[in-house]
Amino acid sequence: MIALENVSKSYGVGDHAHRVLNDITFQFPYRKSVGVLGANGAGKSTLIRIIGGAEKPDKGRVVRTSRLSWPMGYSGGFQGTLTGRENARFVARIYGASFEEVELKTNEFAELGQYFDRPLSSYSAGMKSRFAMSLSYALDFDYYLVDEALETGDARLKEKFRQIFKQRRQTSSVILVSHNEQTIRKNCDVATVLHNGRLQYFDDLDDAFMLYRKILFKKSVA
Amino acid sequence: MSSANAVNVQESALTVQLRVIHALILRELKSRYGNRRLGFCWALIEPLLFMSVFVAGFQLIGRGAPSGIPVPLFFVAGFSPFFMFRDLFSEISQGTRGHQSLLMFPQVTRMDLLISKVIVNALVSISVFLTLVICLYFFGFSFRIDNLMGVMIGFGLMIALGFGLGLVLGAVGIRYEFVRSFSEPLLGRPLFLSSGLFFTASMLPPFARDIALYNPLLHCIELIRSSLFESFDSRYIDLGYVCMFALVLISFGLMLLGVFERQRS
Repeated sequence: MIALENVSKSYGVGDHAHRVLNDITFQFPYRKSVGVLGANGAGKSTLIRIIGGAEKPDKGRVVRTSRLSWPMGYSGGFQGTLTGRENARFVARIYGASFEEVELKTNEFAELGQYFDRPLSSYSAGMKSRFAMSLSYALDFDYYLVDEALETGDARLKEKFRQIFKQRRQTSSVILVSHNEQTIRKNCDVATVLHNGRLQYFDDLDDAFMLYRKILFKKSVA
Repeated sequence: MSSANAVNVQESALTVQLRVIHALILRELKSRYGNRRLGFCWALIEPLLFMSVFVAGFQLIGRGAPSGIPVPLFFVAGFSPFFMFRDLFSEISQGTRGHQSLLMFPQVTRMDLLISKVIVNALVSISVFLTLVICLYFFGFSFRIDNLMGVMIGFGLMIALGFGLGLVLGAVGIRYEFVRSFSEPLLGRPLFLSSGLFFTASMLPPFARDIALYNPLLHCIELIRSSLFESFDSRYIDLGYVCMFALVLISFGLMLLGVFERQRS
């Protein structure tokens, strides 16, 4: 289970405090792909950081009893002086997964060839994101945390990752955070809208989009 | 850090934390020393350079170390633990900075990062110390170890002090960034001069000694030298004082970290 219980988070102190998340209680449904729609500045990144444990909420708590990924494709947690294989091992180690399997699958998805045994700092930007994405898929997560970008590489690789993602949607849960309706429509079953520090849930994607458009429209008028 | 953030049904929080710390230590060691041709030798170079300057200086002015301790050994027993302390406190105080990318892994907490830093630094420093002592021994600077336990306690207390001071500075540094940049010249230098790297407490005039003994590091270094060399014994070691000092630093640091962490902007 991945759930938020009365989670609040503010930034700044005293009079300058800005409440980004306001007493959110939400249980992310199991084996569903949930979209989180939010306008710029609605607190999407904060929400991801809180769900993923990079930051602690001011109040409330995050329940994480399932295997949760780090934000998919995020490569900031890797060490540039280490090789792809060594970085994959580090990740396998913290998740308690088998080295062999993780190394094998990562290399299979990313198609890095001999670069797998070269330092990450020698990778091109495209290779790096391919590596990060593949490593996320190499571990079997109960929940995949996704921040915006799902796509990487050329047309063929894009299609390959799309297929892997499709498969994973059958067996795992997805939490996809985005400002883009199309991304959510393509990849999600249900959606929530993040607005004014609250999370509003919709079984039907279209209802979520309706509210989201209203929010965007009001913003641009005001 | 808080149990609420690391709940896991299948595995206890402790299992996960141990696994994470293990992984972090290997990663740190590998990225520091693994892929360089000289690897661990780099860790030896700085203390070696420093110490040779002082050893040469002492030889030039024709001074020996007290109580028949060979001069190079006298310095190794002072510089090694002090460098360990200095590296620890600066790494830990930097370790509270900003959003660290490793925290993006759900099961990695800031405390895991700090603990693995302490372990890696202590491991490296102690290895450097042992390497230097063993090398000197084979170069003919022989001595008899008086009390191995005392040496370990001395190092252990230095680790605790470095960790504690790093926590306090690091926590305050979250709110007041400038504290971190001032800590090196304002704390590092005076400690370097007053921790007994170049002298023993008994060599100081009484009034200077009374002041210097407020510095817990001096007690630790006196302890390490007394325990390492049978021919030297210090009358000025107060272990209770050092333990209290370390305990206060660590608990105060953890408390501050809790307060400032929430106010991070």
